[in-house]
Amino acid sequence: MSILFRAILIAASVIATCSVMIKIRRAKMQIEDAVFWVLFSFLLIILALFPPVLFFFTGLLKMQSPANLLFLIIIFLLFAKVFSMSVKLSRQEEMIKTLTQEIALEKEKEEEKK
Amino acid sequence: MNDILVIIPAFNEEANIETVVGKLIKNHPDLDYIIVNDGSTDQTAEICRKNHFRMIDLPVNLGLAGAFQTGMRYAYRNGYRYAVQFDGDGQHRAEYIRPMREKMDEGYDIVIASRFVSEKKPNTPRMLGSNLISTAIFLTTGIHLKDPTSGMRMYSRKIIEEFANRINFAPEPDTISWLLKNGAKAAEIQAKMDLRTGGRSYLTPLTAARYMIRILLSILFIQNFRGGNRK
Repeated sequence: MSILFRAILIAASVIATCSVMIKIRRAKMQIEDAVFWVLFSFLLIILALFPPVLFFFTGLLKMQSPANLLFLIIIFLLFAKVFSMSVKLSRQEEMIKTLTQEIALEKEKEEEKK
Repeated sequence: MNDILVIIPAFNEEANIETVVGKLIKNHPDLDYIIVNDGSTDQTAEICRKNHFRMIDLPVNLGLAGAFQTGMRYAYRNGYRYAVQFDGDGQHRAEYIRPMREKMDEGYDIVIASRFVSEKKPNTPRMLGSNLISTAIFLTTGIHLKDPTSGMRMYSRKIIEEFANRINFAPEPDTISWLLKNGAKAAEIQAKMDLRTGGRSYLTPLTAARYMIRILLSILFIQNFRGGNRK
């Protein structure tokens, strides 16, 4: 891994951690959501600071280069995150639909009474 | 009007709600209570209506934090001085509400019905988790809570207001830890708890592990960055 790549990794992981912290500080993020990003940025910091960890697993899996493994890990984690967000979004759409219908039905009931 | 509100969040508690609330009304007719039905898909709401229980019926499922916050908003709006979190599954005993209140009157913000003030903690995996959380809270606040995961807690008016109006106020140990760090005073009184009488707990090893990671990370790390801004 080149010095530049490591520098980028370290910088990116620190920025990621900081932005998560700022969002929490401004009370704009739920802790449940923050947990993923905190763990994710920790992983990035660990890998940036201690690349031997990555080299070890690259050797273990007989992969071509550590970068391949790094990308594989990150893509997989983001894939999992996108998937879980998609599930959550569907649930939220359903909730909004239910709420809208509930309000409209209540309104109709109110008007009926008049 | 009574100045204590018992908040009973209920999600799919058809097996327990009638007994739990019936017992509460019979043994403690002087207490005000409110059931928050968290969008149950079973007969919980029907049972409450049939028995003329006081209930807020949420049209969708918000989860425990959202349901409990609804109860706290109700307490805040209606000017209650104290609010108690009380499970709908029958593991909490209403007889401890009085002693909790007496403790509150000594000037505390949070009183926890604790299983381990004078009793020893048994050595079970569950209690290992409880010990870890205790240690985490001690490390960040310097205060030793013996039973941080007890779900039966009483809150003062000041804390009710925070719960009612702010984000990230789930009735979980990490919120307690944050409150303690910000100067809230907490006390514990010895209490016995019963095993849930019916239905099933949603604590599987996997959810327990996730819960632990979330709570510990939150107490040890995330809460340090939390600001005091309003929603």
